[in-house]
Amino acid sequence: MSTDTTTFRSMDCADFQRSVDAFVDEEFEPRERAEAEVHLSGCAACESLAATQRTIRAALRTALREAMGPATRAGRAPEALRRRISGALERERRPLWRRLLTPFPLAAAAATAAAVLVVVASHSPNGQLVEEAVRKHHRDLPLEVTTAAVGAEAIPGWFAGKLDFKPKAPNFAGQQARVVGARLSNLRELPAAYIKYELPRGRQAGLFIVDDPDGRFDAGGRDVEIGPRHVRIINSRGYNTVVWRQDHTVYSLVSDSGEEDLIQMVRGSTPDP
Amino acid sequence: MGLFDDRQNDLTRDEFERLALRHLDALYGAAVRLTRNERDAEDLVQDSLLRAYRFFDRFERGTNIKAWLFKILTNTFINRYRRSNKERTLVDGPEQEAVQGQLVSRDAADAAADPERWYFDRVLSEDVLKAVDALPIDFRMVVILADLQEFSYREIADVLDIPVGTVMSRLFRGRRLLQKALTGYAVESGFVGEDETRVEDLAEHRRRRGQTGSAT
Repeated sequence: MSTDTTTFRSMDCADFQRSVDAFVDEEFEPRERAEAEVHLSGCAACESLAATQRTIRAALRTALREAMGPATRAGRAPEALRRRISGALERERRPLWRRLLTPFPLAAAAATAAAVLVVVASHSPNGQLVEEAVRKHHRDLPLEVTTAAVGAEAIPGWFAGKLDFKPKAPNFAGQQARVVGARLSNLRELPAAYIKYELPRGRQAGLFIVDDPDGRFDAGGRDVEIGPRHVRIINSRGYNTVVWRQDHTVYSLVSDSGEEDLIQMVRGSTPDP
Repeated sequence: MGLFDDRQNDLTRDEFERLALRHLDALYGAAVRLTRNERDAEDLVQDSLLRAYRFFDRFERGTNIKAWLFKILTNTFINRYRRSNKERTLVDGPEQEAVQGQLVSRDAADAAADPERWYFDRVLSEDVLKAVDALPIDFRMVVILADLQEFSYREIADVLDIPVGTVMSRLFRGRRLLQKALTGYAVESGFVGEDETRVEDLAEHRRRRGQTGSAT
C-alpha cells in the first residue's frame, strides 16, 4: 500500500465528526488517520470528542468482556459440550467405501432387509439417546423445510448432501400420518434427520433417523414384536418412543400419541425406496 | 481398504480441531446471546461446528478461520432459529436513513456534563447481559462481533453478508441503544432525532474526500 502524502487533504470539524466512529474503531487507513490527527492537533473540540468516544468505547468493551468474556461463565463453553463435539467429529470420520456407498440407496438390499430387523442393543437402561430425542422433539424447533413449501414428496430428497448417510424414511402412507416438514438434528454426537408428522386427533410425531454402524444407540424400554420387527418402546416425559433398527440405521419415533397408535403406524410402514 | 483414507481423515480432523476448537468459547458466548438460551446455544454451536467440518475443504487455508466459523454460526442461526420467529425488526429497510440522527456531538455534550454516566463499571454483569439480550437481533449481532469479538467492519460485513455501510449504521445504533440501557436511560421516542449530522459510511467518506480506491 503506497501512502501518497502529496494528496494530503485537510479535514474540518464536520468531516471529523461524521467519521469519528471509524476513527475510534481504527478503521482508517494510515493516510486518513494522519489527516484526522492533523485536524485534532489544532482542534480542541474534536480532540475532546475523540477522547470521549474512546472512553465510551473502552468502557463498553470492558463491560462486555466482564459480563461475557472468556473468563466468565457466559463466555465459556461447558466441558460437556466440548467433549460432545470432539465425539461428534470423531464420528464424522468414515472410510472412503462408506462415502462412496451412501449416496446410493441399496434398494434391493433394503427391501429384503426390511423383513429381518434386529433388536436394538440395550446396554444402558438410561437410553440417553432416546431422552435426547424426546427433548429435541418436545422443543419443537423450526423446521428447515416444510411440506407446505415444497410438497411432501420432496422432503426425503431434501436431506441429500446434508448428511453423511442417506436417511431412508419409512413410508407411513395409509397410516393417516401427514408429513409436516423436516430439519437436520442430532442425537448427542449422532447427526440425525428429523421428520415431523401430523397424526389424527391433533397428535404429532417426530422421527429421528441416525446412522449407527457401530451399534452405539442404546434404547431402554420394553421389547415388542411388531410383525417381523422387534422394536423398543419407551415411555418418558409424557411421550412414547418406538425405536427400531434396520441395518445401520436406527429410527426413533417420538409422539404424544398412544402406544397402540404408534405400533399400528410402525406395523403399516414400508421402507422408503 | 480404509487405512489410507482413515489416516487422511485423521489429519483433516486434527487440523480442524486444532484450528476450530480454539474458538469454541467465543462461538458459544455469541451463541448464548443470539439464542438467549444455553441449551439452544449448545445445539447451535455443535451444529455449526459439524457443518464447518463437513465444509472444511472449502475453507481457504491461511484465511481467518474465526471469521469463517462465525459466518457459519450466524448463518445457521438465521436459517434455523430465526425463520419462524417474528423477531424481525424495523432495522432493515432504508438503513442509511435510519442512521441519521443521534448526533455524536450530543453524546459528547452529555459526557462532558456528566462523565460518570458513561462509565459502566458499576453495572452488574447480569444487567449487561440483559441489556445485550434486549437489543434487536441485527444490532445484537454486530455489537457482539465488533465490541466483544473485535472483528473489523470488513470482517463483520463478510460474516453477515451485508455492506460495510450497513455494519456501521447497525453498530452505531446498537452501541447507543446499549449505552442508553446501561446508563439506565429511558429510551425516549425522540432517540432518533432529526439532526442533520449523521454517521457516514466509510466508503462515502472516502468518496467525498476524493480518495476512492487509493489503497488496498
